[in-house]
Parts: sequence; C-alpha cells; structure tokens
Amino acid sequence: MSDWKSLEAKSFYGASARERAIGIVDEGTFTELAGPQNRMSSPHLPVLGEAVEWDDGCVTGVGLIGKHPVFVISQEGRFIGGAVGEVHGAKMVGAFVLARQMYDRIKEEHPDELAERLPAVVISFETGGVRLHEANAGLLAHAEVMDQIQESKGKFPVISLIGSKVGCFGGMGFVAAATDVIVMSDLGRLGLTGPEVIEQEMGKDEFDSADRSLVYRTTGGKHKYIMRDANYLVEDTLGDFHDQLTAIMDAPYDEIVKCRRIGSEELVDEQLALAELSVEMAPKDARDVWAYFGNEDVDQIPEMTTAEFLAVAKRR
Amino acid sequence: MALRELNFTFTPEDPRPFPLGWSHRGVVGSGDMEVMFEQADLGGQVQVKVCTPVVGFDEVWERVLDRCIKESQVSDVSIEINDNNATPVVVAMRMRQAIEEARKEAE
Repeated sequence: MSDWKSLEAKSFYGASARERAIGIVDEGTFTELAGPQNRMSSPHLPVLGEAVEWDDGCVTGVGLIGKHPVFVISQEGRFIGGAVGEVHGAKMVGAFVLARQMYDRIKEEHPDELAERLPAVVISFETGGVRLHEANAGLLAHAEVMDQIQESKGKFPVISLIGSKVGCFGGMGFVAAATDVIVMSDLGRLGLTGPEVIEQEMGKDEFDSADRSLVYRTTGGKHKYIMRDANYLVEDTLGDFHDQLTAIMDAPYDEIVKCRRIGSEELVDEQLALAELSVEMAPKDARDVWAYFGNEDVDQIPEMTTAEFLAVAKRR
Repeated sequence: MALRELNFTFTPEDPRPFPLGWSHRGVVGSGDMEVMFEQADLGGQVQVKVCTPVVGFDEVWERVLDRCIKESQVSDVSIEINDNNATPVVVAMRMRQAIEEARKEAE
C-alpha cells in the first residue's frame, strides 16, 4: 500500500476501497475495524460456489479529520460490484452504532467541545445495491442502514462520497439520497435504477446503456450538481475529497444539515414541485433541463473540466 | 457447486522467515485474488490454504505456489488465498508483489 501522501494525489475513481478509507481521513489516523484478519466473509456465497472476500467488500474503520472522529464505510466495486450482502450491511450498521456511542461519550466527557469534536459517518459508495445472492439479507441491510441514518439525525452528520467506477445505484442510491451531504466528482454516477437495468426493462430506445455520454449526462456528477442532488463537486483525487470533507466538518452541524434533500415538509414540497416540472416540460435529454436552469452552451458542459464547469454552472 | 478448499505444505531449502506479523494484499475482483500472510511457527515450512470456485486445477495451483516459495524461500508463514478465477500468471504476480512489499516494509 502506498503511503498517505502519494495516496492524496491518486485518482479517487481508480482507488480501492481500502485506499479510499485511508486517504479521506487525516494522515496516519485510519484504523481498520473488522478487517481482513477478522475474516468476516459472507456465509452465503460459499454454498453457491461464489468467491468470498474477508472484508465482504466493505472496509470499515475510524480516523480523524481535525479533532473529529470519522467513522468510514468504503465499498469495493471490484468485489461483486460492491453489492450489499448480510455481512457487508452489518459492517455498515456497526460503523453507525460506534459513531453514536462516540457521540454520547464526547457529549459526556467534553460537553463544551462537542462542536469541534463532533463525530461523523462518511460512506464512500461503490455499489449497485442489493447483492442478489443474499437478497433478503441484503434488502434488510438497506433498511437497517436507513434506520441508522434516521437515528443519527440531530446528532452528527452522515456524508456520502461518490466518485468510483461502479457509481452508486439501486437501493444504495436511496441511502445516499437520505444522507446529509453528497460530495461527487464528475466521474461519479448516482441513480436508482442503473443504466443496464433500465435498458433491460424498457428497451434500448428508452435508454441506451452503451451510450456513455448519455449515461453521464443523466447520472453523472455535473448533472447531479446542477440538480442539487450533489452538494459539492470536486476534482477526482483522494486529496480533493479529503479537503472537501475537512471543509464540511469545519462548519457547524446546523449549517451542514442544510444540504439535505429530504427530511422536512419544505423539502418534500420542493421535490414534488420538481416532479411536476418534469411532467410540464417533458425534457427529452438532461441538456434541456440544464438550459431550463439558465446554463448556456449546454453541449459544451460534458467537455468542461471540473474547474471550468464550476465557474459557469447555474444550479436549480 | 460449492467453493473448494485446497491445502498445501511446502518446505523451502533455504528458509527465510516471513518478516511481518501479518500482511494482507489484493482485492477479490473477477480474475483476481486476495492473500493473507500470517507468521506461524512451522519449523521452516509453509502452509497454504486456497479457497477457490475453480475445479480441476489443483495441480496447477501446487506448481505455481511451489515456484513462488522456491523463488522467495519464504518460510514459517501461513498463507491463505481467496481466489476468484485468477490465472496462474496473476497468482504468481500477486504472491511476488505481496512478499516483496512485506520485505520492503520490514526493513
């Protein structure tokens, strides 16, 4: 494993789950919990003759950002597409439980320093959602993680990082949407039904999953940033994601939660108004929506670098 | 077909004990593998356990691993591999990487 400093310059898109877990917290602070040595692999895959991984495709642990204890969940897309099975899900839940215990402890031991020591859960998504080989356990895991997000509200922030190869799809797309903040790179992809599944169910005329540019226009980081589904868009390095996390954790909790997409009556109204708008304007392509929100030269947007895009992008 | 477990024991001629308490490398991607090395008092021997979905290549596994051990003379270590259809070339490369990196880390 390369050292932290060289990790910071590395592409987030190509980094393994373990490299991401180490690189998104401060130098030398990451401790892996329930790692490969604990051999918590899936009990369901061996009987099906499917390869197992000792961390079940989910790296969990704790590190620091400044004085903030950050509980990291990092999914490995190369192992069964980062799909969530029973152990993988249980490890995600475990990270939340530890964060809540940490919150209670800091509140008791350092009541006057709660703001600067406030813990966080950070999820580096790379998944298509439920692992079909262990479907019921996988679905239950999604529900349990959702529960944990609700339990964390009013206490500490839950932050999503999306910029890996597989993207964040399926049930985990819902989970990401329910977190407090979403940080993406323009290579990140976020959605519910993945491109291949849409094509399979609705046909190539509806959505051609081989059309890379279409896939990115519809699910990619730039589109999600314009739509305010993503709160921040950063360059594709571990260092840029780390810096953005540091900036988020520096803000007071009440400011951080303003990034939420759901969770209040106002936000529900906002989402419903968007649904209404989509019926009214019946966009044929994401470019129509970009133009509607005031972006000029929409054909150029996919070609822009992140910096060029951020300088001119007009958001919802 | 269930996952299979293969077990091998090797005896290097010029044993060089594994330098770290433990070391883990790799991701179980398609055509790839992860490997765990753990120091063990094996009197100069090496134990290898392979967990693989592949059938009919037990002898190839033994030969590839034997060559890795001969080449590195690594000893007194328990090696476990989770394999997902890695080719012999990939297995040899991952093993060599892991042993070299562990030796570098221990310096």
